[in-house]
Amino acid sequence: MLGSGELGVTTFFSSSIPNDKCGANGLPLTPNSIKVLGQFQQLITLRHPNLCRYVDMIKCKHERVIVVFEHHRKNLAQLEPHVKTDSKLLQVFADVLGGLFYLHGEGLVHSYLGPSTILLTEEGVCKLTHHGVYAMTGCGAHVTFPVGQVKYSAPEIFCKLPGCESRNGSKVDTWSLGITMLEASLGITLWASLSVKQIIQRILSFLTIDVPVIDLIIRDHKCPEKLEKMSSSLQHLITRCLNVNPKQRPTAEELLEEACLQPYRKVHEIRGLNGCCMFSTGLRCQNLELSDFSQVEDEELEPLRELDIDQVYYLWQLAGGDIIRTLDNAGKIKSRPPITNLYSFVCDDGESFGAERDSSVLFDDHILVLSLDQLKQRLSNLDETAYYPLLEEENDESNGVGGNGSSNIELNETATLPLVIKEKDIEYQFHRILLYKRLLDGYPYKRAQIWKEARVDIPPLVRPMVWAALLEIEGDVYGRYIAIDKDSPTPTDRQIEVDIPRCHQYDDLLSSPMGHHKLKRVLKAWVMSHPELVYWQGLDSLAAPFLKLNFNQEALAFACLDAFIPKYLNMFFLKDNSLVIQEYLAVFRNLIAFHDPALSNHLEEIGFIPDLYAIPWFLTMFAHVFPLQKIFHLWDTMLLGNSSLPLCIGVAILHQLRDTLLSFGFNECILLFSDMPEIDIEKCVQDSIRIFCSTPRSATFRQYAKQSKSETSNKPWTSYYSTDPNTIKSALDSEPIPLEELKANRCSRISAADLIELGELAGPVGTKSPTKKTKNSRPKILIIDIRSPEEYQRGTVPGSVNIPHTTSFSVEGTLNPTPQVNTLNAHRLQVKVIIGSQGNTSLNFGNKLVALGYSKVCVLHRGIEALRPTGLLVVPPIEAHT
Amino acid sequence: MEELVNSWTQSYNQEVACYAKPDVVTEDQMFSEVYHTLIHSPAMEALLDLEHTYALAIVKLQSEREADMKHLESRQQAEMEDAIAKVGTIYTDQQVNQLAQKHYDNTQLIESKWASELSNLQETQKRQYKNHVMKLHEAHINPGNGVQSYVQRVRAMSTSAVSTERDQIWQPIKMEESFTIHLGAQKKTTHNLRLLCAEVLDLCRNIPNIIGGVAVPQPQRLQTAMSLYSNNLCGLILLVDNKLNSYTGLKKEFAKLCQQSTEFHFPDLEKQFQAIEENIIAGNEWRQNKIEEPDQVSIKSGGSNSSGEKDDKLNRLIAGDFYITRHSNLSEVHLVFHLVVDDSLRDNNVNSRHPVILGIRNILKACVRYDVFTVTIPLLLVHEMSEEMTIQWCMKRAELVLKCTKGFMMELSTWGGHQSRNIQFMLPKGLSDNMFLQISAMMPTIFRVSNAIVVKSS
Repeated sequence: MLGSGELGVTTFFSSSIPNDKCGANGLPLTPNSIKVLGQFQQLITLRHPNLCRYVDMIKCKHERVIVVFEHHRKNLAQLEPHVKTDSKLLQVFADVLGGLFYLHGEGLVHSYLGPSTILLTEEGVCKLTHHGVYAMTGCGAHVTFPVGQVKYSAPEIFCKLPGCESRNGSKVDTWSLGITMLEASLGITLWASLSVKQIIQRILSFLTIDVPVIDLIIRDHKCPEKLEKMSSSLQHLITRCLNVNPKQRPTAEELLEEACLQPYRKVHEIRGLNGCCMFSTGLRCQNLELSDFSQVEDEELEPLRELDIDQVYYLWQLAGGDIIRTLDNAGKIKSRPPITNLYSFVCDDGESFGAERDSSVLFDDHILVLSLDQLKQRLSNLDETAYYPLLEEENDESNGVGGNGSSNIELNETATLPLVIKEKDIEYQFHRILLYKRLLDGYPYKRAQIWKEARVDIPPLVRPMVWAALLEIEGDVYGRYIAIDKDSPTPTDRQIEVDIPRCHQYDDLLSSPMGHHKLKRVLKAWVMSHPELVYWQGLDSLAAPFLKLNFNQEALAFACLDAFIPKYLNMFFLKDNSLVIQEYLAVFRNLIAFHDPALSNHLEEIGFIPDLYAIPWFLTMFAHVFPLQKIFHLWDTMLLGNSSLPLCIGVAILHQLRDTLLSFGFNECILLFSDMPEIDIEKCVQDSIRIFCSTPRSATFRQYAKQSKSETSNKPWTSYYSTDPNTIKSALDSEPIPLEELKANRCSRISAADLIELGELAGPVGTKSPTKKTKNSRPKILIIDIRSPEEYQRGTVPGSVNIPHTTSFSVEGTLNPTPQVNTLNAHRLQVKVIIGSQGNTSLNFGNKLVALGYSKVCVLHRGIEALRPTGLLVVPPIEAHT
Repeated sequence: MEELVNSWTQSYNQEVACYAKPDVVTEDQMFSEVYHTLIHSPAMEALLDLEHTYALAIVKLQSEREADMKHLESRQQAEMEDAIAKVGTIYTDQQVNQLAQKHYDNTQLIESKWASELSNLQETQKRQYKNHVMKLHEAHINPGNGVQSYVQRVRAMSTSAVSTERDQIWQPIKMEESFTIHLGAQKKTTHNLRLLCAEVLDLCRNIPNIIGGVAVPQPQRLQTAMSLYSNNLCGLILLVDNKLNSYTGLKKEFAKLCQQSTEFHFPDLEKQFQAIEENIIAGNEWRQNKIEEPDQVSIKSGGSNSSGEKDDKLNRLIAGDFYITRHSNLSEVHLVFHLVVDDSLRDNNVNSRHPVILGIRNILKACVRYDVFTVTIPLLLVHEMSEEMTIQWCMKRAELVLKCTKGFMMELSTWGGHQSRNIQFMLPKGLSDNMFLQISAMMPTIFRVSNAIVVKSS
């Protein structure tokens, strides 16, 4: 929770890397700012009551980075003398040690400790800040400035050269705390008149003089009377801290055991706070404390305080907050015009000379507070109840965006706007993220409702968790991930090593060394946990979106990938996956013909078959061909659909490029898809839903798709499309078709069960659309019986039209005009189901119709025979001949 | 011990703002800030008019100088012809030699007289100009004291420049074509490419722009002046030989263009060259050390060279080096990258590892570092047409430079250059129309040209 905190920012430059150095793999070195960005991410996960939270890091041009974190305006240096009682100082001691203990436990060292980095909240709790500077800068390796405050630095820091590789141990923080507390309790500024050089000399001199440091400092400042006034427990603690030998200096943990600190220690539940408790194995309500609001009843409570700090920051940005502009206005990132300080000579090998140094690149630890006024003003007209959306309001079938209150209608209106607008609408996002947070807290019991909300949209802030929910991830994902061996060398390591530096590297996070490391671990974990499957190039692209979303939670990224692959790419990662891919492409080819016969005819004619371009599309579920932002929007929808939806997305992409493709020959087509042209992804999503809804589900049947589980989960599976097409339950369902046959024909097939349902042959069925937009989302059908009139008269499907295959086509291959053909032409937009006897006649008929440019042609699998056992066949009414 | 203390002290004093010495704002910095504010204020027009008036004064002085020099030359020539005709009769050889010497001395004298006059005028202008800028700024920040009046006063000084010449309007470049391209596999960045066929110095030359008998500054000037201290600079690659001077050929032409008006913001070209020379020496020392590093023994022997020889060696430039000069008085460029080339470029077999190509890469890197968003590259790596440039030669060279540039542009993003850039490819004047069309047809095969949005009626 934000509480009394505010958002603070600070900025610094990472050092630029030397000219033209290459890494061991021959690729150029990663800029230091990107390394810093990668190392920063783990700091976001730190949660401790005595640490300010890190929120975000922004990388700007010229190696500048900006850090956003929780901030409190008051620090220890500003603590008024009259409140510096012994108990207050001991409390500070205990709080800081608590924070340091946690930090050290995470393997981090503060290294920047001093009175200015110990903040005090309104409630009087100490919170450390700048505790991540040392960690994010790679222990100072990626910046030119020394990380630390001279006066509070331990002597061993100065025993090695600046920029030296060896790292500070956690004991340096104990020393800094000692000096800080000594200064605070004496109430004087230490070494105020000394220069930096003199201070360093003085600190180093402690090493050579065998007198307790505290006495030396007292002597320096000639204030023994102040020391006498200090309580013995404080003196004792400070003396222990100021041990020049780091080996003998106590750790934070040891100091916390001191008897005098026991009354001030707070026991914090530290674990389990790390961001996500959705998948913990422990009891989530174990430490649940219901806040007692009875006392604050009459106070003017700032509702914003109850939000999480990352929610506040997200909303602050939507309210028009711009960090770079804020810093600019405060004069914090002012740099000299480039023309005034350029270098004047550059050698042939790129070494430059004569550049003037800009003083604005120096490190300044000043913290700028972001004003929340604009955000508060934007949210001021919201009812306070909006902060606590109610979930258990049944009978809310009709209102899409859950919630209550008068703004509901307005929200529903916003929900229909384009995604780019919705993602920028602060009020809408406010309602959405609060609703989602609540739903996610109730996961998995609220899965049905999450599913329902996800059909409207998914706010970027909660996308990682919502995706996990949509992929039905449950249980102990961390435990599972930890148990997998991700370190032992495997034969695929080399390929992974080659692919990762080429995978979505425009993204700063994924191009950071930390990103590479994490992606490698996720991929190795997947390979290890699926011995029957192999690593195919493309798996890296597939894992990238999940890692980008769950950068700090590799385990969840892995779990998502692991759930995603069987759902959409079942058996694609077999060692020999040719059959699976061939089937997929054949179905795709038929689907193109089904929806756009003209385009299909053109592509077939020039020989531009899906095998030439669509393998990377489907093998990576488009993650290889689109930038991450587009993948997110695409997958937001794809995750809601079944394994056939990607095929429709493929058709939608072709549809968007239709005019270009129709005018192109083979070579141009190859060139066009060698580098995917710009695609309007929102249009693509809408098109694919439309395509999906006008395709009989059995038309996309694939034998290698994952057979869905027999028991239905608690998702609202009520629509026609909610049943997976790849489930075989009865003889009426689809059955595997040999690949050769699939490839030889251009029209799709429909199963008897599907026909019965679509044609409502067994009576009307209640159905709901998968999208909110269309009323009836089932395709309408026209049944064409192509058997001879005699057979037709003996019994056919109700409502069918008889176009006998033997007599219908002219010599030129066109359809002879008959009343039945006119009926066919009048129903061009409907799905045409061709029913024949067994054999290839109906397929041939279908192929001919496709060649003539008829869309939505499909053939009843196994022909009329499939329907015989159902008893649905009737004698057609005698047509009135005049 | 001492070393530790010193290096830590240095580290803190030089890298951390609160321990560092407070920044002193130099006069130049102040001037640049003031100028930048003014050029984005209503006083802009007055300022530009003033600059233009000053420029016209320089042009006038220069044309006077030329007339004077021409006059002197013709007089001397007449005298000399007369003398030569009478050699042996009236004049002895020695006397003729003396005459020649006298002529030479005279020319030197007059030339230096004009040079000093010119530099005097430029100094005066510079001083006056800075003065005016500061006063304008004062008037600008204290509007009570009558901004308008001061602006008008400045303007009054400039409107007097009425020319009697006929209207001369800037002629657009004859052959040019622009392309919008996408780069990148998944995430695409958009850039603009422009292919143009012109004389390279056309981008520097301020062409007198006379409308209705009144000299008016070129529209490009405004753009260049407004972006001078911005983060959106324009640069030009000028191919030069390995000597840092402006005595010959294109370099001389360029220096002349720099002299066509007073440089108010940066040192003169000569002074910039002096500063650059120091850096070149530093660079060559670094280069030597780098070569000698693996072989530590030879450092000593290198030091024994005579100083004269060493100096000579140390200001030497090699192909692929470049130096940068800054300008405020050129038409469309702020920065000129002087890229050193050699005769190996005439060869048909230049490949992507050629030092000049790598020099272009380093220049693009500099563009990212210093926010140069428009840069002009000589596409054939020559400025003038010559004999060996056959059609095949030109096509091969254009393809090489385009492909390399594409590669470097992709690299730019790893150097932090995600923004859209403008790259202009300059072809030498005199290239055939057909050739231009062929090269322009090559562009879409190398770069992915963005598709025009087709609006359909249906």
